Amino acid sequence: MLNKYFKRSIVLFLSLLFLSNPLYAGLKVFACEPEWASLANELGGEHLDIYTATTNQQDPHHIQARPSLVAKARQADLLVCTGAELEVGWLPLLLRKSGNPNIQAGQVGYFIATDHVSLLDQPVALDRSLGDVHAAGNPHVHLDPVRLQKIANKLSHTLTKLDPANSSDYEKKLELFTQNWQSMILQWTELTQPLKGKPIVVHHKNWIYLQQWLGLNQVAVLEPKPGIPPTSSHLSSLILGLEKSPAQVIVYANYQNNKAASWLSKKTGIPTLELAFSPAKDETLTHWFDQLLNQLLTLQE
Amino acid sequence: MIDGLDISILGPAFFAGLLVLASHVPLGQEVLKRGIIFIDLAIAQIAGFGVILATRLGFESHGWEVQLIAISSALLGAFGLSLLDKYKPQIQEALIGVSFILAATGSILLLANNPHGGEQLKELMVGQILWVTWAELIPLTAITGFILLMWFVFKLNQRMGFYLLFALAVTSSVQLIGVYLVFASLIIPALGSRNYVVKKSLVIAYIIGALGYGLGLLASSILDLPSGALIVWMITCIALLSGFFSTKEQHTT
Repeated sequence: MLNKYFKRSIVLFLSLLFLSNPLYAGLKVFACEPEWASLANELGGEHLDIYTATTNQQDPHHIQARPSLVAKARQADLLVCTGAELEVGWLPLLLRKSGNPNIQAGQVGYFIATDHVSLLDQPVALDRSLGDVHAAGNPHVHLDPVRLQKIANKLSHTLTKLDPANSSDYEKKLELFTQNWQSMILQWTELTQPLKGKPIVVHHKNWIYLQQWLGLNQVAVLEPKPGIPPTSSHLSSLILGLEKSPAQVIVYANYQNNKAASWLSKKTGIPTLELAFSPAKDETLTHWFDQLLNQLLTLQE
Repeated sequence: MIDGLDISILGPAFFAGLLVLASHVPLGQEVLKRGIIFIDLAIAQIAGFGVILATRLGFESHGWEVQLIAISSALLGAFGLSLLDKYKPQIQEALIGVSFILAATGSILLLANNPHGGEQLKELMVGQILWVTWAELIPLTAITGFILLMWFVFKLNQRMGFYLLFALAVTSSVQLIGVYLVFASLIIPALGSRNYVVKKSLVIAYIIGALGYGLGLLASSILDLPSGALIVWMITCIALLSGFFSTKEQHTT
């Protein structure tokens, strides 16, 4: 008799366990980069179960295939990625391998951030000699807070479409995010006034949106063709140019090797600055961007 | 439950591993015998060089054309290496090494004005075993069948035959599973089984390879680590264990 009750309670417990999963798990989100995980978290919070494919220590161009990556893509209801060929080396393969119809191109669950904003650096004519250019334009839009707001609006809309039951909550969260983000933009704009027009050297052309937003003046690019070592004539013209009109800082992303930047720094005496290209795990967008701007501002002193 | 421990994720990868092993293990034993360990790197790099050269010459190549160019260049390279074998046997290994770096750096020089080919080169050199789908296994099965037929039935393992089959095998496998795994599949099972008698050594080498792939894939699911790299380590561990047992066996028999 006791045994029977015991068995029943186990069955009940197990069925509850299985039932509880789909009830409380919420939308499963597969974010290619941490900035989209962070944004999704602000816009969906407890309704989302977010997985991030890359960390901010990784170059999102290249990632290694792990079984969990395919498994997460297979379960996802929503895929949030940068697009504009940033993930071209692995995302199409991953999508094909996942066989998940919800997140294939053209579906509601396939959210590509760069589809929703205008892109800089679009090649007028696709000239292969210009280096590893992205045909669609520069993909690193998350470094422009204004574009980020636009993407947030669209992403919130997508969340509502996928999960209409919680639409009012998504609306509220978007409103809250927008309020906070807009007031931060005002603060940041004021704070970074002194940065306007400052000459900088960048390692790669991946800071272009930040430069444009802050009005920084990019005077040189250390490695104009990613993946191809700079030629000696490029380096000598770089040094010559910097002697004539010196820059304030050499900026490189935290996932990049600092060798080239340090070399140039030694030759020219211009300090290097490593900036976090994306928020860290569980870091909010506001916190990350605030830190990044503060790092740039410390150069003023 | 562990994410990724899923037969539909690991199945194609494991099967790809078995197919690659089927052709690479006998070839690897031959490579070891001839002492030309770096030939696979050289062949893969020459195949990549060929593709870049073709792009440079204006061929807008995609899909099967790339394959054709890659395989032709690999065969041409293999032909050259077999000539080295014939005329300069004493310094063959060194010359293979030189041809590897020439092909690699030649690609850089060709790419100086065309970095887009770099993506193609990368695709050719760094396949990732986990991305393999069942559909991609069909051509690999055909090529593997052809190589095994030529090798075991027609005994095409003399000088020229060996080099040409080798070029075919490596060019097709590198794109799917990458250079590291190809190198591991060729050399490590052959190393782990070299102390056994000829017939037995082939079976042992196959077992080492298959266990390495199987356990490597399982471990990569459980530990959530990149599959290719972990398989290399697994094959090595198992080969070491088998080498450990083989010395014992030699003493007793």
